[in-house]
Amino acid sequence: MKSVLGDRRAILALLGPALLVYSLIILIPIFWSLGYTFFSGSIVSGFTPSGFDNFITFFKDPTAWTAIAFTVKYAVVLTVGQVVIGYAFALMYHFYLKRASAIIRTLVFFPVVLPTVAVALLFQQFFQSAPTTGPINGFLNSLGIASVDWFGHADSAFWVIVAMDIWRSMGFYAVLLYAGIVDIPDDIVESSRLDGASGWKLLRHIILPLSLPVLLSSVIFSINGTLKVFDSVLALTNGGPGSGTTPLTLYMYQTSFTYGDYGYGSTIALMLTILCLLVTIFIFRAQRRDLTKA
Amino acid sequence: MITTAKGRLGRIVPAVAIIGAGALLLAGCSSGSTSSAGGKGSEKFDYLGADTNTEISTVLTLMSKDQCSAENAAQPLSVGTTPGTGVDQKMQLLAGQNALPAISTASGTPSLMTQFVEAKKIVNITEALGDDSSNILPAAQSIISKLYGGTDSYVLPTEFNIEGIWYNKKIFADNGITVPETWDALVAASEKLEAAGVQPITADGKDGWPITRLIGNYIFRDQGADALQAVKDGKAKLTDAAYVKAADAVASLGQGGAFGPSVGSIDYNGMENAFLTGGAAMMYNGSWTLSNFNDPAQNTIGLENIAYMPFPAVTGGKGSIDDTPANIGIPVMLGQNAYGTNTQAWVKCIAKNYGDLALANGGVVSGFKVNTVPTDLPELTQVVQAKVAATTTATLWFEALFSPKQTTVSQTNAALLATGALTGEAFMQMVQDAGQ
Amino acid sequence: MIPVATALLDAPPTTQAQRRRSSRTLKSVLLSVPMKILIAVILIIEIYPLFWMLVSSFKTQAEFLGKPFWSFPADPQFVNYVNAFTVGEMGHYILNSAIVVFPSLALIILFGTAAGFALEVMVFKGRGFILMLFLAGILIPGQMILLPLFTIYFQTGLTGSLWPLIITYTATGMPLTVFFMATYFRSIPKEIFEASTLDGASIFRSFWSVGFPMVRNAVFTVALVQFFFLWNDLLIALTFTNSQSLQTIQVGLLNFTGNYGQVSYGPLFAAICVSVFGTLVIYLFLNQRVMKGLTAGSVKG
Repeated sequence: MKSVLGDRRAILALLGPALLVYSLIILIPIFWSLGYTFFSGSIVSGFTPSGFDNFITFFKDPTAWTAIAFTVKYAVVLTVGQVVIGYAFALMYHFYLKRASAIIRTLVFFPVVLPTVAVALLFQQFFQSAPTTGPINGFLNSLGIASVDWFGHADSAFWVIVAMDIWRSMGFYAVLLYAGIVDIPDDIVESSRLDGASGWKLLRHIILPLSLPVLLSSVIFSINGTLKVFDSVLALTNGGPGSGTTPLTLYMYQTSFTYGDYGYGSTIALMLTILCLLVTIFIFRAQRRDLTKA
Repeated sequence: MITTAKGRLGRIVPAVAIIGAGALLLAGCSSGSTSSAGGKGSEKFDYLGADTNTEISTVLTLMSKDQCSAENAAQPLSVGTTPGTGVDQKMQLLAGQNALPAISTASGTPSLMTQFVEAKKIVNITEALGDDSSNILPAAQSIISKLYGGTDSYVLPTEFNIEGIWYNKKIFADNGITVPETWDALVAASEKLEAAGVQPITADGKDGWPITRLIGNYIFRDQGADALQAVKDGKAKLTDAAYVKAADAVASLGQGGAFGPSVGSIDYNGMENAFLTGGAAMMYNGSWTLSNFNDPAQNTIGLENIAYMPFPAVTGGKGSIDDTPANIGIPVMLGQNAYGTNTQAWVKCIAKNYGDLALANGGVVSGFKVNTVPTDLPELTQVVQAKVAATTTATLWFEALFSPKQTTVSQTNAALLATGALTGEAFMQMVQDAGQ
Repeated sequence: MIPVATALLDAPPTTQAQRRRSSRTLKSVLLSVPMKILIAVILIIEIYPLFWMLVSSFKTQAEFLGKPFWSFPADPQFVNYVNAFTVGEMGHYILNSAIVVFPSLALIILFGTAAGFALEVMVFKGRGFILMLFLAGILIPGQMILLPLFTIYFQTGLTGSLWPLIITYTATGMPLTVFFMATYFRSIPKEIFEASTLDGASIFRSFWSVGFPMVRNAVFTVALVQFFFLWNDLLIALTFTNSQSLQTIQVGLLNFTGNYGQVSYGPLFAAICVSVFGTLVIYLFLNQRVMKGLTAGSVKG
């Protein structure tokens, strides 16, 4: 029995194709690009070794630091937003809608399938103040508040990006978290109800601790996606106004392909990867500790 | 659909070999191969163009069937397109592999073109044309030289645009405004229009260039036509008072509300639409906009109500109002590795015939000599054509000599300058810093 | 655990529901009114954009620019759809997308499921390490692999075909798929596979006839999630297609933007509608299974 489940040829046949394509297309190019971090120059004019110059530049580059600040702020806000709102939906599906929730779940999930270009155009129109007044500003006007130039300031543009991405992804997280809640054994919920726990108390002491594992997995999944936000920002604000909403990925792409500095671009990408790694390890640790407590 | 295409240069190296060579090693020496098609050139006359410009491929196709049919027989034209948004990236990647096609859209970023020239990735067209170089208009050649340095041409000027301010004659007349000849008169005019409840200028703040063009032109009028070359050569800085003055002038114009609300949200369509429906009195734009003017569906104010005025002079400035800001649009270049005698024959044929065909076919004014001007051109097109022919000294635009990073920084921050969120000094500082 | 989840999904336990219905007080009835309003708001937020896209696809350029956002076209422009297919060549791009996405999906599922099975069910040294290796792929920004891949595809002569897209898509789908499938297989008791091999089935047979059917819902889920990633991908398609004949639908959508930033909105929205409603059909068709799959297999810490 052990020998069958440990058959080397079978393991190779099953694991081989995935590992091979993954290594050739993802791993090798990554190490290849890491090599470029020690070079300066461009694809066109050729590369020359530059030691640790790219790393020194990175730590002195104010644009890079603004990009890191934006990326982290975006990732934290969006992760909290996606998971909290997704969780609220999940609770609603399970405790209020019950049987009827299927159609709502489907509808809320739906924006995940829309092309980014289309969603970005929609939100641009929704929040625009000129040449025509969009619905949001129209609503503000009706309350007697002057139109806001949402895309004219980095702060307000940030919140439009957040709103757009939460709208797009909340359905996905709702379904993911719904699964965790559905899995909570009913007798536990019922018995604590009989013990007098209800509403907020029930949620805080019974439901929340029991769905903690799936919540934390969602957080890891979400933060790794949001730290690498690219196309929604590209399509909605193109990093503007100025470089006010430029995340690390967009800065990396611009540096490599618009500014033609591939070595420095790779350095930025490496820093982003390290950031993702640190955050993931941090969350994994926090999760372990919480799990042992619970 | 799925075809295992042969590499253009036929240099097929197994992936295994590349991977085996080790990543770090390759990082250092992945460029620099010199295998050249040489001789007659590539098998086909491959054109890879940005899909945003259909004019060039149309004209080339027309030529291949008529004037250049002999050249086409020796090296058949094959047309391909790539999205306009990714052109710079695509051309860099291809150039890195020495795989630029026979003829392709050039990069819109002059400093990238300079890299192509220095790395000998593209053909020296002046050499290729020999005596036929006279088919390139002197004004176009002067722009090319200013852009890429030296006296030779590395691109074919498939467009020649002049820029300036287009104004609505009716709005000007209704408000008793005469065409402003100085910047101060322009400011006064725009204040008057605003007081009358008319938006003075519409500008595409999303793309930024219609705003930074104003800065550039102000600098040329105030400091002379060589002012930005001096910045490139390190003789002056954008943060010098004389340059900051220009950005401040545009900022104060914008702060007065001349560009209307939320200028950063206006895109190119929004700008055209505002002007062509009478929503704004003026628009800074290049002569390529004539195709919009000539379309009655877009133009509701009527062709007869639109006129061109040169960018106003700056009182006491060193520049002349007769210097015309001009550009060659996004031209085409020739890949060195696909080049050969057949390609040379094609290029000579293009230089001889492009001017006439482009004008007759799409009303496009190019940087090539026109032998016979068609008689049925719309009036504004004739005006522009005459102005182009008469242009002797052309000035560039604000970002022409900047690095790609400076260009991006300048254009993405333009709207912030125009709404007063950035001061002229802060704006110039950012652009200057991006150059380091 | 999985059967419990699936059962719950289809029919919530009646005991609980009955109990709550019987104990329904005035308070809970009042509570349900704001709840209904909330649900109505949610529905509007989710459905309106679809409707708006459809309406926009029939507008003229002037209406799009000059008229308010919510206005209706005075004279529906069916010609936008004609333009999307003739000038915009959408038919061609949709075909390209299909040619690229479906084979990639098939490979992702086959390779990913097999690897997930090997990593969770089979016993060998270093599986933890290999799983971590796949997981690391989730951390990497996709922009980083573009230049080396461009070189590899060029040197191997694959440039100029759709192979670079298929290969890249298959590879980029691996980390998430392997991770998901490994998680699903983890929740299936190993005894099942041990029993089937004791019965004399080869390991491939246990995988194909026992393991694969058990994770069928999961396969649908992963396939759908990956389908939308691939169908909506712009970055990879933009980098590795260098002729119009190879462009995919998302790259095709860029074709409605001109040299100086001008956009033909009507045909653009017509093209978007064609793309969206196409995927919508697939989505509604597969939805039931997906919701089950997502719910059943979920990422459990």
